[in-house]
Amino acid sequence: MQLIIERGALLRTLGHIHSVVERRNTIPILSNVLIEARDGQLHLTATDLDLAIVESVPCNVMQAGSTTASAHTLFDIVRKLADGTDVELTYKSDEGGRMTLAAGRSRFQLQCLPREDFPVIADAGLPHRFTLAADKLRKLVDKTRFAISTEETRYYLNGIYVHATESGGAPVLRGVATDGHRLARFEVPLPAGASEMPGAIVPRKTVNEVRKLIDETEGEVEISLSDTKIRFAFDDVVLTSKLIDGSFPDYSRVIPVANDKVLEVDPRLFAAAVDRVSTISTDKTRAVKLTIDQDRITLSVTSPDNGSAVEEVAASYRASPMEIGFNAKYLLDITQQIDSDVARFVLADSLAPTLVRDEGDEATLYVLMPMRV
Amino acid sequence: MAEDTSETGPTGARKIIHVDMDAFYASVEQRDDPGLRGKPLAVGGARARGVVAAASYEARRFGVRSAMPSVTAQRKCPDLIFVRPRFDVYRAVSAQIRDIFAEFTALIEPLSLDEAYLDVTGSGFGGGSATRIAEAIRARIRAETGLTASAGVSYNKFLAKMASDQRKPDGLFVIRPAEGADFVAALPIGKFHGIGPATAARMQRLGVETGADLRGLDLEVLQRHFGKIGHYYYWLARGRDDRPVSAERVRKSVSAETTYDTDLFTPEAVRAALAELAAKVWRHCAAAGVAGRTVTLKLRHPDFQQATRSRTLATPVDSLATLIRIAEDLAGAEPAGPKGIRLLGVGLSSLVSASDPAPPPQLPLPL
Repeated sequence: MQLIIERGALLRTLGHIHSVVERRNTIPILSNVLIEARDGQLHLTATDLDLAIVESVPCNVMQAGSTTASAHTLFDIVRKLADGTDVELTYKSDEGGRMTLAAGRSRFQLQCLPREDFPVIADAGLPHRFTLAADKLRKLVDKTRFAISTEETRYYLNGIYVHATESGGAPVLRGVATDGHRLARFEVPLPAGASEMPGAIVPRKTVNEVRKLIDETEGEVEISLSDTKIRFAFDDVVLTSKLIDGSFPDYSRVIPVANDKVLEVDPRLFAAAVDRVSTISTDKTRAVKLTIDQDRITLSVTSPDNGSAVEEVAASYRASPMEIGFNAKYLLDITQQIDSDVARFVLADSLAPTLVRDEGDEATLYVLMPMRV
Repeated sequence: MAEDTSETGPTGARKIIHVDMDAFYASVEQRDDPGLRGKPLAVGGARARGVVAAASYEARRFGVRSAMPSVTAQRKCPDLIFVRPRFDVYRAVSAQIRDIFAEFTALIEPLSLDEAYLDVTGSGFGGGSATRIAEAIRARIRAETGLTASAGVSYNKFLAKMASDQRKPDGLFVIRPAEGADFVAALPIGKFHGIGPATAARMQRLGVETGADLRGLDLEVLQRHFGKIGHYYYWLARGRDDRPVSAERVRKSVSAETTYDTDLFTPEAVRAALAELAAKVWRHCAAAGVAGRTVTLKLRHPDFQQATRSRTLATPVDSLATLIRIAEDLAGAEPAGPKGIRLLGVGLSSLVSASDPAPPPQLPLPL
């Protein structure tokens, strides 16, 4: 294998994929990136066995071939090369299993492992296929991923549940995430070809990698999936991931339908106030008490060690006065996702799930469970 | 004499006693069974993989030591008698001894069932003489338990500990403030309490054979070679050790482990073993009134290759069933692999007191 590629192009590609490679690996080859040169393209693949990213970039291929080398070492070397230099990668299988990287006056000999040993996630047999605009996929991730559980014991909550369903009579593609304390739901009109798709729990790491990679993508993302795998293809990238093998709980049961006390507040003023009063709390979980009265909310936090804090926020509220407590972080996470100027809380009582909506956005919905204060 | 309750005595020095029971487990067994007296005795398992937990002085003459594999001990001393340990008896005797300590000072730092540091700086007993207090404690222990203890008296923990070893068994040794530096200087580096074979070897590579050699090294050199603890060694070499006797040693973890007579191979055998260990840990947690968030699994294969895996939850493990499930999860589908498993351990750490006021509860979504 022999190829020449501009340093910037190589760095960008390695930058996209190297975060998949875990820093600590018990299987040596998982520390490596698969390097394949053919047809005027360099294809780089990184995997952690659950997730694989292949990115292709044009280059000058003098001799086709392939090998594998340490992803983090390669990334660090290329990062330190001067901008604009050409990087030459050469690998001859008879040269003791090393790849030569030459750039300017630098030469590196990198230890390689046989490409035959590099694990491949088979992505044949993904019967369901549809496309989704990158900006819609970005929004789906942004509106839901903060609620993904990190509790490994409930592994089936460690991802976004993506599935086809109906909303108000119209078919939608919906993403749901919950950690058992709050829930976030976002939906888009169902893309053609998605109606038969199985519900899929997309793991957190995959969600984060996809989100990073599509940050600047403008076109469509092609999504293919089966019961066990999902593939995202866009630009010059193909990301294939295993799905979480489990069943997502019936979340519709926790979305309140009979709540009737409507509280409307400016999400930014409200978030700033929550953030301020919770400063006084020393607990790991910062509880904020909301005393809701005619057109105003009084936020209060009491810390046995530290003291107390109170702040009043203007709001629109006409129902009977009530008190309710929430985890300050959860309130901030949700209000930060509200783009319009009105966050609408629909409440029942101090112990029941509370619905939170963005006035300008029918596609998103949040459910937040109170704290006992 | 007026009672002096300050940190240091009139001379500015602390008065620390290290009390160490002589061959504790073995002596308890000999006390309770006259047929064992005067005989070489090892407390521990005689089985293939047993380990000597304690050896009587008769056995020590043959070279039998604690932590020695039982097979080796038997070879060194063919007449060695093995007795199964009775930990509940040892714990009861240990509690008796601690009650005696408590009559002399409140500052007691137990190191194990059979040793403790006492800070008697403020004690008015015996005219404030730590030596007289140590003798009184030894006499009380002998009268009340029928067992002998050795004591070291000095002005810091390190020297008190070193002193208690000087006249064992049934002895007392005092290192006065003026003698501390000389005592340390003459001490071979391998005899320092807290310097194990590995550190001793590193010291020897630096040309350090004795405390006097250690004293010759600069603080900066010691810190470069040994990191943070270099500071401690630097002052030790000068006979100084400022660690306080801390009465409350907070428990950091609860764990249980077992070495199996025959290696475990099947997932079923491993699961059964894990359930047993988890139950033990759970009982100990309940008894100590603690709960933990981190579950640790330890596996050792017959070739002594060892692995530990752990998982930390957001909240303390709430039930024995959860503990077992997480332990099984950590073990994976094929815990034994082709080699089998020799030892398994289950531990809980990141402990919180079960009686701590709980933070205001977050209610769960009724999923």
